[in-house]
Amino acid sequence: MKKKKVIIVTMTIVLLIVVSYFAFQLVNQNQDIEKAIEQELYELKHTVEDIYAIEFLDNDRVLVFYSWSFPDYSNFGVMELEKTWRGWQFVEAVSNRMEMKNAWLKGVYAEIGDYAILRGPTWASVAKIEIITGDGREYIPDLGRAEWQMWYLILEDEPFEEATFILYDSDGEVLKEEVLEFDLNWPE
Amino acid sequence: MKLSFKYKVLMIVVLLMFIGIFLYYYGIKARQEQAVTEALIDYKNMTREYALDAVYKSKEVPIEVKLYPTAHTEAILNRWKAISDRYPELDYPEAAIEAEDWLTVEESLEDTDVLKEVVDQMYEDSTIPPEGAGASFTTLFNYIKYHQYDTTYIEEVLIDLGIEPPKEID
Repeated sequence: MKKKKVIIVTMTIVLLIVVSYFAFQLVNQNQDIEKAIEQELYELKHTVEDIYAIEFLDNDRVLVFYSWSFPDYSNFGVMELEKTWRGWQFVEAVSNRMEMKNAWLKGVYAEIGDYAILRGPTWASVAKIEIITGDGREYIPDLGRAEWQMWYLILEDEPFEEATFILYDSDGEVLKEEVLEFDLNWPE
Repeated sequence: MKLSFKYKVLMIVVLLMFIGIFLYYYGIKARQEQAVTEALIDYKNMTREYALDAVYKSKEVPIEVKLYPTAHTEAILNRWKAISDRYPELDYPEAAIEAEDWLTVEESLEDTDVLKEVVDQMYEDSTIPPEGAGASFTTLFNYIKYHQYDTTYIEEVLIDLGIEPPKEID
């Protein structure tokens, strides 16, 4: 009888260890943001990737700006991740093809989650970009550097269909002025 | 406590049923995950090969991905069509392109014998390349897909045949 008890207790302990090991794994697998990004991009198969920026919208929401596909990295992606009890989880992703041939900068409009985002590649010599809209609004988009340089703007007010982009070098000299148009109805 | 034989059999049957359901469930789940992985690989390949835009709303079951052609896609298709117009043995899959069925579109460019036949014919039809010059099927493939001129004379041959516009002289 005593032997039986020992077996039952041992079995229960072993079972508890196994269950808690898996539970621990499940809860902890995506806690590290960089590892989670790598894992999510691997699952999307957007591999041989370059990360340009990780933008925290708040404590539990993040936008990842990246490009993928060797050797040209011309597919520019943005992915939204959300922090849950299981760590960082995929919400949505958008990938846009933008080739840099003969262009100072490219840019597209995309909506991801609740956000309107403008983004695109530009040359490495560009140190600052100023955006001026037709109705006089001015923005300074962020720049992220990896294989290319990417500019991005997370819009908090009304999106615009057209704007002048002024590109500056590191000495503050104007490199180029260009007008970009955005399709606010994309992708439909 | 002594269990009756009948009770023991019943317990084993119930246990086996649980194990069966568990294995069945995981079998289905594993197959679904495999199908999702394969679909995501296809989406990735088509996005890359045809320069498409892609929107991923869900990458798990039920998977929700939409692909959209871009200006770069148009450029690929225009090169393809220009060659197919002159050499109809190279199929231009109009219906699949209109249906945006990129996997079927891709199949039309997989016959390496046809690609080789067409590129050989192009070298023969053009007066530019000297006798003995030629190209492999990848030359035509790389031109259509990536706008690359990976073999001697291919650019001149394409211009000579009116498929590419003449080079601008500065």
